[in-house]
Amino acid sequence: MTTSDTSNPIPSQDPPQVDNYLTHSTGIMSWLGTLDHKRIGVMYLCSILTAFFFGGLFAMLVRAELMFPGKLFENPDTYNVMFTMHGVIMVFLVIIPSVPAALGNFVLPIMLGAKDVAFPRLNLFSYYLWVTGAVLAVSSVFFGGVDTGWTIYVPYSSSGSNMDGILPVTFAIFVLGFSSIFTGINFIVTIHRLRPPGMTWFRMPLFLWAIYATGILQVMATPVIGITVLLLAMERMFHIGIFDPAYGGDPVLFQHFFWFYSHPAVYIMILPAMGIISELISVHSHKHIFGYKFIAFSSVAIAIFSFIVWGHHMFVSSQSPLMNVIFSAITFSVAIPSAIKVFNWIATLYKGSISLNTPMLYALAFIVLFTISGLTGLHLGALATDIHLHDTYFVVAHFHYTMMGGSIIAMIGGLHHWWPKMTGKMYSEFWGRIAFTMVFIGFNLTFFTQFMLGSKGMPRRYQDYSGENWSLAQTELFAQYHWWSSIGAFLTGFGFILVAIYLLHSLFKGKRAPANPWGGRSLEWQCASPPPHDNFSKPPTVGDCYDYSVLEWDESEQGYRWRADVKHPGEE
Amino acid sequence: MNVTDTHTNKHPDFLAHHWDTPSQQFEAGKLGMWLFLATEVLLFGGLFVGYSVWRGNHPELFKFGSEFLDTTWGAINTVVLIASSFTMAFAVTAAQRGNQKGLIIGLVLTLAGAFGFLGIKYDEYSHKFEEGWFPGPAFYDKPSESSHTWNDETIVVGSVPLVPPVPPTSAKTAAQLGLPADINVELSAVLPPASSPTGIDRAVLNPDTQHSESKHEVHALQRQDRPANAHMFFTIYFLMTGLHGIHVLLGIFLITWLLVRSIKGHFGPAYFTPIDLGGLYWHIVDLIWIFLFPLFYLI
Amino acid sequence: MSLLLLASSLIAQTGRTGGGFWFPEPGSSVATEVDFVFNVITQICIFFFVLIVALMVIFCFKYRRKEHVADTGGATHNTILELTWTGIPIILVILIFFLGLQGYVRIITPPENSYEIEAMARQWSWTFTYPNGAQDFDSVLHVPVGVPVKINLRSDDVLHALFIPAFRVKMDAVPGKNTFIWFQAIQEGEYPLYCAEYCGTEHSQMVGKVIAYNAVEFEEVIEELNTWIDKVPDEKLHMAGRLLYNLCSACHTTDGKALIGPSFLETHNKFKDGGTRKLADGSSVKVDEQYLLKSILSPGDQIAASDSDKAYPRSMPPGLGRQLGDRKVLALIEFIKRLPELKDSDGKLISVKRSEIVEEAAEPQ
Repeated sequence: MTTSDTSNPIPSQDPPQVDNYLTHSTGIMSWLGTLDHKRIGVMYLCSILTAFFFGGLFAMLVRAELMFPGKLFENPDTYNVMFTMHGVIMVFLVIIPSVPAALGNFVLPIMLGAKDVAFPRLNLFSYYLWVTGAVLAVSSVFFGGVDTGWTIYVPYSSSGSNMDGILPVTFAIFVLGFSSIFTGINFIVTIHRLRPPGMTWFRMPLFLWAIYATGILQVMATPVIGITVLLLAMERMFHIGIFDPAYGGDPVLFQHFFWFYSHPAVYIMILPAMGIISELISVHSHKHIFGYKFIAFSSVAIAIFSFIVWGHHMFVSSQSPLMNVIFSAITFSVAIPSAIKVFNWIATLYKGSISLNTPMLYALAFIVLFTISGLTGLHLGALATDIHLHDTYFVVAHFHYTMMGGSIIAMIGGLHHWWPKMTGKMYSEFWGRIAFTMVFIGFNLTFFTQFMLGSKGMPRRYQDYSGENWSLAQTELFAQYHWWSSIGAFLTGFGFILVAIYLLHSLFKGKRAPANPWGGRSLEWQCASPPPHDNFSKPPTVGDCYDYSVLEWDESEQGYRWRADVKHPGEE
Repeated sequence: MNVTDTHTNKHPDFLAHHWDTPSQQFEAGKLGMWLFLATEVLLFGGLFVGYSVWRGNHPELFKFGSEFLDTTWGAINTVVLIASSFTMAFAVTAAQRGNQKGLIIGLVLTLAGAFGFLGIKYDEYSHKFEEGWFPGPAFYDKPSESSHTWNDETIVVGSVPLVPPVPPTSAKTAAQLGLPADINVELSAVLPPASSPTGIDRAVLNPDTQHSESKHEVHALQRQDRPANAHMFFTIYFLMTGLHGIHVLLGIFLITWLLVRSIKGHFGPAYFTPIDLGGLYWHIVDLIWIFLFPLFYLI
Repeated sequence: MSLLLLASSLIAQTGRTGGGFWFPEPGSSVATEVDFVFNVITQICIFFFVLIVALMVIFCFKYRRKEHVADTGGATHNTILELTWTGIPIILVILIFFLGLQGYVRIITPPENSYEIEAMARQWSWTFTYPNGAQDFDSVLHVPVGVPVKINLRSDDVLHALFIPAFRVKMDAVPGKNTFIWFQAIQEGEYPLYCAEYCGTEHSQMVGKVIAYNAVEFEEVIEELNTWIDKVPDEKLHMAGRLLYNLCSACHTTDGKALIGPSFLETHNKFKDGGTRKLADGSSVKVDEQYLLKSILSPGDQIAASDSDKAYPRSMPPGLGRQLGDRKVLALIEFIKRLPELKDSDGKLISVKRSEIVEEAAEPQ
């Protein structure tokens, strides 16, 4: 590497990298067979965003159907397939892998100061498992579709549904599960074994703590969904009688197995998002994160608690009342670490130097939306109110505030934050803010109305809210909310399309990005943008990753650089 | 190619570019393997939970079902697997000490044990298949017509209402109902007699139940004392031993690959990570069987 | 901002249609209690939401970046402060848990002397059976006001859930298990009733209503429900069949289009012409009264196939026809036999009111 022999100790003044990970080698095979975590991360990102597009398309179709009373799609099964595909794609193909596998893969080793993840081949294998799972899941449409909802509850999935797409989807979930497990193993081992000298546990950026806690969840929870979907497939093919009551099985056991995975999966989705927010809030307000240890340990606490609260999805499933009470009690314990995080983020803002640029806007939006989702979780955790709210649009709104308002918003925020690092280009700040506004208003319009829809009694997964059995008053009541909700959904959809347009545009026409456009202190801002193949042209300087006092603004670079009067600790 | 003499430089061939030292790489591999084994345990954990749930709810199924398993062969299989675990450990030690011959002998013996285990399992399975003891509804009454127990009470699936129904009106003649005269005969055959306590005589209405007895052969499991849902035992038996069998099969591929690389001389005191990890995997396969054997065959 | 605008517009909207901002009018004795818990939680939520968002907005405005400052210093942690905002939520969630628990205990504890109604869930309707044997197949639940009512839930096929928003009660109907809900209606009137657990194609039409009457009226309704079919004269039995057809309409059309089962029009035509129907096992059977009878009471015996030899699914539960009782089965047979008489000039089924066909004088017994 030609740059490594310069005597300049200021990392951000490295001359622009001619040889970066994008130009290191060329040709399609250099991507498809790459072992470079950055390229695998980029491949994940492209694939996941494609899946997000299709998942979003299904969401738009669902909202189009619900915009007015009456049937847009004549056959109810069409609608049922659409909301199922929306759920399956968004949960298993997009949100679970989005932050860890796409952004995590790119950022984690660099943040840690490592050259790669611990097992690069396993990393590539995980990606191809994801592709296999995606192909299987999408192929289910051609096998006749799947109309069970993403929760694939028995006995509807084992014998009730006549659609043949269920088997491909169960196998897809199995394969995607292993993709997720291998990613988790890879990240845990990387964090344990590839920390360079000086990178102690409590010097790690909080994003890495979040990824670490997520990795534990991925490793410990995902095998259970693997065995569960295998059993479901056996039940459907051979009627082995484990879940289907018609053959002696117990459908509630399926729900226990399913939620034993799927509840921790909620935290697989939200924990890395919280990690991103911790980074974004601190970096964009140029202020040391407040209460590092509380945030770090709250991630671990959430990971642990999340294993013992699955029963709160089943308060009306005929599980025993005693279990309901116990699960309700434990559920509230998850509220504590979540609350700690939010308060610490707010405290970080205090007396900062807050830049309201696009990534920060997403981070602030995350705080608002996640607060709403967390607080409405109290309604659902309390037994008396959950009985009424369960399986209504209240729940739909609640988990969309978590999954989309939380995970997706954080993912898009993280994407903007690391976009200059990944591509070496700056996107249009103006369009970024416009698109953000559309997404934020549209999102709230879509889902806040659904809280009211749900508390007024609209059950979820309904194709229509009119018909001969419906009273006119009910239809009219629900129609107002649904109309607003659909308008909001379309606005959100356009917002995301705008994001795609200006990001793609920046690839070709964007300004060259400096090494450290935001003034971040964690290690990825010490390498060039985009990073070289081996991440660092010289060993990075490890220190307190939220101590911004060593940086200063560099007008010529339009970015931040290491202060000339501060020595790198390693050079003393 | 011998590992020890060619790799005296700082970054030997087996060391991937992102590691500093072989021991760092070895430790990482070992941690990764342990995590993977944790997922394996959890994968089986789901089935163990299923086992506990059914055993707790229906102990009689397991008492009945285990009579049809051959404890002797099960015990022999256990011994075979434990022995192969021992030879695997021997192979790992041999690799660490640079004992090339011992390594290869150890792996070959382990492989033999794995094949032996699968051979015996094959014999057990084929015996059960011949008898038609498949999991699932193969020896199960037609689901919609039979009653089964759950939570200590009998529930009739697809049944008539629970409360006394409308007083039957079949006392009317066919003529009164405006039907052809001959339907009267059929009515009394198909519709319930007025005196029937539930209003509907299910035996008459369910020719299915009679079919099922004539259609399916009565095999050894269909004896009088067979508890309801006896198939559940075989479902869980085949699932758990089957998944374990698949793991043994994967182990065979793994050990074969290790054997080939050992013969090529890839391993020695400096680099024995794959052997060590393969050994860990084989021990967990062994360990799971040590749980399966008593759970199904003995208790 | 957008939230506030939206909220105010929605408050204005809901003002027109009645009901509170969140809930439908409470209709049962537990509803007010549930609403109380909900409102307490909501107020706690609003307090914290306003606190968090207000602080966030104030900080973002007050400490907005005015120049390129790399670092702002400031405290990195404050253990006392952090323990405080750990402790306060703990106390609050414990309070909320006990509030929720208190209401829940009432929701799941029916009084000893509850009036019991059996509910059977099927794709895609509810059947309610009353202690006197009366049944309603149209997902209409009749209940007395001021009397605790316990509904025993069962399912014949997949998971369903009985949900009555106005009563704030919900429970899954799980095949192979017994579950229940109970409530005490506090006001006469009609309330919507839903299936809340996704159950397949027509899930969104598995809705009905609860009608709450005073005790005297309730007795009359139930009595009427039990005996109306006996008061239908034989010549109007096919019109009674039109009422009962709602039970079949999810799977059997009357316009010749095949859904989950064969269309009744096709069956009618075959009956009229003395034709035969192909069965899934390859044989065929003459379509006569006996065939119709067996198909209703024991549908699994004769799985029909379409004329192009595609077998219909074996999805009709045997309990569906058998619960009806003889005369209602005969009414359905009459319905199929005389199908054209029940259609108007556009080929649509005419609607029939029970009062039109019931004749007190025609009661034969």
